Amino acid sequence: MSAGVISVSVLTGFLGSGKTTMLGYLLRQPEFSRTAVIINEFGEIGLDHELIEASEDSVIELATGCLCCKVSTDLAQTLQGLLQRLDEGTATPFDRIVIETSGLADPAPILHTLMTDSGLAGRLVLGGVVTTIDAMTGACTLEREEVSQKQVAIADRIVLTKLDLAGAAEPELRRRLAALNAGAPVLRANRGRVDAPILFGTDFRDKQTTSLKVHSWLAEDGQGQSHARHDADIKTYAVVRGEPIRAVTLTLFLETLAEHCGADLLRLKGIVNLVESPDRPAVIHGVQHVFHAPAWLERWPSDDRRSRIVFITRRIPQHWIEVLLDAIGAEVNDVTH
Amino acid sequence: MPIDLALELLTQSLAAWRVAGSIRSEAGGVIVICGSHKDIRIARVPDDLMFRWIVTIEGRKRGAISLVAVLRQVREALDPGYAGSRVRLAVNPLVPSP
Repeated sequence: MSAGVISVSVLTGFLGSGKTTMLGYLLRQPEFSRTAVIINEFGEIGLDHELIEASEDSVIELATGCLCCKVSTDLAQTLQGLLQRLDEGTATPFDRIVIETSGLADPAPILHTLMTDSGLAGRLVLGGVVTTIDAMTGACTLEREEVSQKQVAIADRIVLTKLDLAGAAEPELRRRLAALNAGAPVLRANRGRVDAPILFGTDFRDKQTTSLKVHSWLAEDGQGQSHARHDADIKTYAVVRGEPIRAVTLTLFLETLAEHCGADLLRLKGIVNLVESPDRPAVIHGVQHVFHAPAWLERWPSDDRRSRIVFITRRIPQHWIEVLLDAIGAEVNDVTH
Repeated sequence: MPIDLALELLTQSLAAWRVAGSIRSEAGGVIVICGSHKDIRIARVPDDLMFRWIVTIEGRKRGAISLVAVLRQVREALDPGYAGSRVRLAVNPLVPSP
């Protein structure tokens, strides 16, 4: 790689597959200390940037929509802005950029922009595509979601996550991954911890080991086709509460969602102000019917202490979610007072 | 809790589950749901009893300890394709360790 050329890596993977957890781990490693991060979230309230511990001016959130749908403008402008700030000395110096896509993003047009935008040519080089896949639900997701197949097929590295939950599902998942992309090494992450040096190498993409299908997707997007990427039934919204929530209310709420929504609850993540823990917010993650035990932050990441839970759902009305939380909270208050 | 909030929750739940049915409130804080050729009556019970709600489906009465339990009973009655994921979350402490 030429001196001064900055490697850009793309971190993708379907909703809830562990991208942010792994990125958070990577950014704490010494070799990633000079990394700028661009986070794209498909939601009205972005949370990922608050869940990653990194210097504030090295993380940029693109909250204007899914990256793949606005890639030719937002991403290119963001990257150009980053380079300009680097040249002017107003940004924390970096020699690597990681783009974390939204879970619903088709990575093909993102790569297309990185490879073809004239304003970026000569300054940036594609360092590789890393795709995370949930070892437990990944096979079903691949079966159901075309975009997940794309994310795997285009990967230079595939990282299996949540292996502690996978059980017997891993061999079948590996067969599916091999069918989609036999050339990409499959790595394993343990709660986000992964072999950092080999994850984002600066090697160029080996087109010989990448499925021909991927190139057809790249070509398709280059012609401006197929922009209806998201399932029309998939909605994203946020539930925000100013008043702290009781822990038992949160538990009943999540249980009810898991029970009644099943696979239509594509993803839930949030930061919650609990009555019982006002100074240490709970971070909650859920994918379909699987919820992880809350993680507790040492402190609030900003002055905003509202509970904010972001949902990505299929055919689940927001109003039902809102009323459900309110009703459970009211009943719990009745019992506890 | 206000009975109107329970009524709203059940109304929105039918819509979310894409289950056909009508819903109304009656005197005494009773909610009545008609759907799938069944009448379901949901009534609050005094706070000093074990169950907060009594759900009557085709004449059969069952207690429900919470609105969450009411929702489960109603959906089981109205949605033949329903197979809920009975996930339980609270194996870990609900608050952080000191």
